Amino acid sequence: MTENGVWRLALPLALAQMLFFVAPLLLLAATSFATDENLRAWSLRAWRDALGDDFNIASVINTLRLGALAVLATAVFAVPLALVHMAAGPTLRRVILIAAVLPLLTSVVVRTFAWIVILGREGVINATLQGLGITSAPVPLLQTEHGLILALTQIEMPLMLLPLLAALARIDPALLDASASLGGSLFRTLRKVVLPMALPGLIAGATLVFASAATAFISQGVIGGGRLNYLPAQVWQQAMVVFDWPLAAALAITLMGSVLVVAAALSLLGAKARHA
Amino acid sequence: MHRFTGSDRALALLILALAGCGFLILVGPVIVVLVTSFTSSRALQFPPPGFTLQWYRELFDPARSAQIHIAAGNSLMVAVLTAVVATSLATAAALAITRSRAGWARVAEGGFMAPLVLPGIAFGLASLMFFSWLRQPPSLALLVAGHAMIAAPFALRTVGASAAGLDPALLESSAALGAGPWRTFRRVTLPLILPGVAAGAFLAFVSSLDNVPVSLFLASAQTDMLPIRMWGMMETALDVRVAAASGVLVAVAFVLLLAMDRAVGLARRMSG
Amino acid sequence: MTEFRRRHLLGAAMAGAALPFGGARAQGTTMTAAVYPGGWDEALRDVLAPRLREQGITVAFEPLFAVDQIAKARAARGNPPFDVFVLDPGPRVSGIDFGLFETFDPAKLSNLGQLPPGQADAQGAAVAAQVVGIAYNPTKVPKPKGWADLFKPEYVSKLGLTGFGTTFGTISLIEMAKALGGSVENMDPLFAELRRIRPSVAAVGQPAAMPGMFQQGQIDVMYTNTYTVTLLRSRGVNIDFAVPETGAAAFMTTMHIAKGSRNIDAAYKYIDAMISTPVQAALSQAPYFFVPVNKDVTPGADVPMRSISEIGNFVTHDWAKINPVRPQWIQRFNREMAG
Repeated sequence: MTENGVWRLALPLALAQMLFFVAPLLLLAATSFATDENLRAWSLRAWRDALGDDFNIASVINTLRLGALAVLATAVFAVPLALVHMAAGPTLRRVILIAAVLPLLTSVVVRTFAWIVILGREGVINATLQGLGITSAPVPLLQTEHGLILALTQIEMPLMLLPLLAALARIDPALLDASASLGGSLFRTLRKVVLPMALPGLIAGATLVFASAATAFISQGVIGGGRLNYLPAQVWQQAMVVFDWPLAAALAITLMGSVLVVAAALSLLGAKARHA
Repeated sequence: MHRFTGSDRALALLILALAGCGFLILVGPVIVVLVTSFTSSRALQFPPPGFTLQWYRELFDPARSAQIHIAAGNSLMVAVLTAVVATSLATAAALAITRSRAGWARVAEGGFMAPLVLPGIAFGLASLMFFSWLRQPPSLALLVAGHAMIAAPFALRTVGASAAGLDPALLESSAALGAGPWRTFRRVTLPLILPGVAAGAFLAFVSSLDNVPVSLFLASAQTDMLPIRMWGMMETALDVRVAAASGVLVAVAFVLLLAMDRAVGLARRMSG
Repeated sequence: MTEFRRRHLLGAAMAGAALPFGGARAQGTTMTAAVYPGGWDEALRDVLAPRLREQGITVAFEPLFAVDQIAKARAARGNPPFDVFVLDPGPRVSGIDFGLFETFDPAKLSNLGQLPPGQADAQGAAVAAQVVGIAYNPTKVPKPKGWADLFKPEYVSKLGLTGFGTTFGTISLIEMAKALGGSVENMDPLFAELRRIRPSVAAVGQPAAMPGMFQQGQIDVMYTNTYTVTLLRSRGVNIDFAVPETGAAAFMTTMHIAKGSRNIDAAYKYIDAMISTPVQAALSQAPYFFVPVNKDVTPGADVPMRSISEIGNFVTHDWAKINPVRPQWIQRFNREMAG
């Protein structure tokens, strides 16, 4: 297929999204400008409530910050894991691949319990710290931002690691040998050979982790708790408890818009890296 | 990466240390779940006071867990269909986007990610409102379509990352040798992007399997879904079977991975 | 996909279990009832569904929490996804406000006489009671005397707080406000105390997470209903129920027929069977532990009442008054807690 005709390949997904995503989204957008979900009368009330409130603006900022921190934390561990995977023998490779998908295989329902076990006042980390004599009293971890980020690091790591592994799988081992035999240091090999190949995977992973962590409603609610303030919980409350659907719609669209801006920036970066 | 100098060694150690920590973070909580699934206590408890296989027996008991089996069957079917639909649509789109340098491709790429960032509750609600308006009650097909919308961005991203390094010259030479586009895709493109396609299909599958908010609205009494059932079991009674269900999933994934390894190894030996 | 292929695909995974995808529709009536996920779902499938099968009615259950039922029925605009709701008072009032229920005729219930007076009306009928108080871990903390105790230092650091999102959470917080000198009209004393204890409270969060945190020792005190306490204790969790000195609060869980339902007769039979003596008796026993509404059935040992007729001795709340102000309380709770 020629460069000019290639766009047709994107058509099936685009059409499916039109019907099953964009159409409901438009209804949602219309609802946010209505007085109620029957769309009988129009009003800017929901948007005034959503954006005219410092509390909600703080929620947006907290949520974006959480997404960014989750990207950073997952990248710090996923990149070394991907490098070790690349250099490893077949057995270790298999072990890393299994570890990479494990978090996805434990349902979100049980995962919350596992994190209570690990982060709790009488949990694994606190027992270890106290056992080693590092702390004398339990350190609060559950229901803190650090605790939540640690949990998100595990939960979201597959989304960073899998695209990275897929991207690095294309590197020809001969290339690495060549770089090494030409006297290139490890650092130079990583920077000149590995990083350019890894970059599309890293950016793909960053986009997925950012989007997923920012909307991880259950983890935010259970592991983060009510003292941390993120937008998805507001959406849920307005939609399901207060039944203020216009406000829920406005908040949901605000969240989507702000996360998409970041995702689009990452996508641009990705395009630059790809065609550099 | 064979002859290490001093600074090389320091860097290698740092990489190994971080990878080790990363490994621990990945598997730690899963080990907690697996250990808990063998607890002899009657509610989820860690550390377990003793060990038993009772919860696995109960999970597989056709009478006591009948409803869980039905929900698991529904969830698996929806997840498989979602993975197939989402990965096919996304692979085609990813190829289009990576091969085009035009500005529209960047915009489309961002737009295609949108379903991932709309809170699930809002998407579920809006879908139900929209399809009720079209007089389409919740059904299996709608459920798959809803899940596929959320799952497609995963596949789009992973396939895109794999396809980014695709050499256009390779495709052109295949075409020049008289291969049609489908043949070129199957013989040249697909093998090269397979890791991305596999990762995408897997992510799509598990995202559907674990989806709560979209299922909440698009599932019906006829399509009881596993995660919603497990929420109830967890919330009211700390039912240990929810941990055992994760144990089963991990075991199945293990076996599948080993089987795939075997199959690939076998194929390699037979062709070589 | 054809019905045949769908069933073919499913067949292996489901080992012949009664398939709700078509199939069973041939004989008698099929109706759909919403049911709370978890214990209620299990109980109603085991106890209630067989009774209706005897009358030629097949019930398909859809597990949904109360708020999810309201949201789903509302989004479906007149095409109710199920025939019968099961709700707590808060969502019940929302359902009435949104006009989601058919007018209910209590005279159609053959077991009406078994209900205390006033427990069936033009909206629906009560099918279970819930008694709300304080749950605590007797191996970790002394038994709390009343709602005000929860704000004392020895309890605060072990307390799991949930907000106004649930019916039991809302009435517990109202009772705390009263114990602190406030009322439904004046919740300020409560919010002032919440602000004070915020930094040292063990957990603030979703009700769904509380049992897990309780079991793992993150929290040792929370507010909940007798049903949850008995269920958790039957599974070996160290948990006891304390009746606050100002009295335990009680409310009714009710069933309603969805507006636009095409199985109204079956729906009446379903609700009628639900309140019948044999069903209520079975549901009040292990492993279900419902608080019965049927006057002839004695509640389980953990329930601080010997018959539903004593419901008048419990603290009750006027939800028509609470619902309009609840959104403000929710917002205020969020703000106080986010600091």
